[in-house]
Amino acid sequence: MRVGDLASGRSGDKGDMLDLSLVASHPHHYEQLRQYLTPERVRAITAPCFDSPVVRYEVPGLNALKFVFPQALPGGVYASMHAGLHWQKAAIWLLLDHRMPPTTGDNDASVG
Amino acid sequence: MARPAQAICSVGAGAGFAGDRIDPALDLVRSGLIDTMALECLAERTLVPAIKARADNPQAGFDPRWKRRLSPLLPLAAQHGCRVVSNLGAANPRAAAQAISGLCRELGLHQHRVAALVGDDVMGLQDHIQWAKPWQGQLIGAHAYLGSLEMAQALDQGANVMITGRVADSALFAAPARFKLNDQNDALAGALAVGHLLECGGQLTGGNFEPIGGAHQAPPLSAAQYARLGYPLAHVYADGSADISVVPGAPGIVDVLTCTLQLLYEVHDPAHYITPDLIVDFSHIQFEVKGPQSVRMHGARGKGVPPMLKVAGFVEQPGVLADVEIGFAGDGALARAQCAADVLRRRLDALPAHACQIDLVGIDSVLRGNARVAAAPPAELRVHISAACDDAATAQWVEDEVYALTLSGPAGGCSVRSEKRPRLAVVDGLIDRQLVKTELVWGQA
Repeated sequence: MRVGDLASGRSGDKGDMLDLSLVASHPHHYEQLRQYLTPERVRAITAPCFDSPVVRYEVPGLNALKFVFPQALPGGVYASMHAGLHWQKAAIWLLLDHRMPPTTGDNDASVG
Repeated sequence: MARPAQAICSVGAGAGFAGDRIDPALDLVRSGLIDTMALECLAERTLVPAIKARADNPQAGFDPRWKRRLSPLLPLAAQHGCRVVSNLGAANPRAAAQAISGLCRELGLHQHRVAALVGDDVMGLQDHIQWAKPWQGQLIGAHAYLGSLEMAQALDQGANVMITGRVADSALFAAPARFKLNDQNDALAGALAVGHLLECGGQLTGGNFEPIGGAHQAPPLSAAQYARLGYPLAHVYADGSADISVVPGAPGIVDVLTCTLQLLYEVHDPAHYITPDLIVDFSHIQFEVKGPQSVRMHGARGKGVPPMLKVAGFVEQPGVLADVEIGFAGDGALARAQCAADVLRRRLDALPAHACQIDLVGIDSVLRGNARVAAAPPAELRVHISAACDDAATAQWVEDEVYALTLSGPAGGCSVRSEKRPRLAVVDGLIDRQLVKTELVWGQA
């Protein structure tokens, strides 16, 4: 199962900071993602692309998780060494494309 | 659909960045549903060319697209009694307002009053800026993010066009509502949430949006629909709640998911979003579907006025960044491109490893190959190199080494593109808001 099968997402940035949002449409899927996408796991998933600590914010009222990486874009987008600078607009696919195992005891997988 | 009688203000988002499409703003005004058109035209980085232009010419330094955008818009807005608010003043709102006053005269809008908000440029207060981290290089500009108060005053005093430099994007949209809101922080918080939702234009109404599970399907809108994507508008109520929709008759998606994604976009901590006007808690906001392209928003909470304003500083570092690509196509293109990348690593091994990045556009240049890889190698791809060089001569050498592959590298190197950029960094800082002196400057058409 892909993370993107349970949630939509968007990438943003400000200065050095990369800011990723994931939004599920159902509280059950939010909870699955909340349990699976721990800050430690997200740091491991993103490590091939950049090295930064990660802060996770939980927004259960909106079925949303946010992951903020304060050192992912050192010097901001202008200082990027990527082709054409603005690679971070696609960064959410690091999470959306990640394969997560089906949860054991998941008897509500068809919801949403 | 008409403007709801209870709405204190109806605001449209006609642009989400300096180069955004011109026509969505015209469609919004023609709808007759809005009394204020806000144009967000100033990204963090957009200030840099503006600062440089102003250094060369004291009458320049605002968005060079201003005339193309405003010439069709201002007469239409006048006809519909719609005001225009924009940060297209960039590094020189005063000069922008003068130029726009001149345009109003040309257009026969002789009663129009154009206001400029100045004071965001805090280069003169450098000693008082608390930088988030030390930096090296030359500071070429420092701008504080201003709030909605002065804009609201100008609109209250009859400004038809309100031009700013660096302000919080959300403030552009909250300004027309500000003096009509209930006198409670939560109401202002709601108006700022509306601003945050609308500030990216089409990104609220189905642009840059993939639905859940969307990787298995076609994009949610057709090319014809993206090409005419409708931009958003909001009817704002005195308690800070709002109805969010898209210009009627235009393609677009406004639902709980598109609104939630945009609400959370770039806010960092959703329970503590810092704007110059107010710290806002978005975490209790609720969205309710009202119709096929209409969502009601309520529940924003205000947490107090921050004592400091955010400052964006722009630092030019010595040297040049070379960003060069060469293409390969046809059977075996991947192997030839990989080989070419290896040749470049060998030819450029005098460059420090951390100052040089070589990758393959089409394989690993964006997500470092971390995304799922297609089963078949691409029929065409490009080798990319970025190198942070100490001087222009070194950057030229990097470019020359890529060109040399066309004669002395693997077969078929083609379509070289090269860009040599100054090395710029954006640095964050804070400044005591009491030190930042703002002023409204009026032009007359």
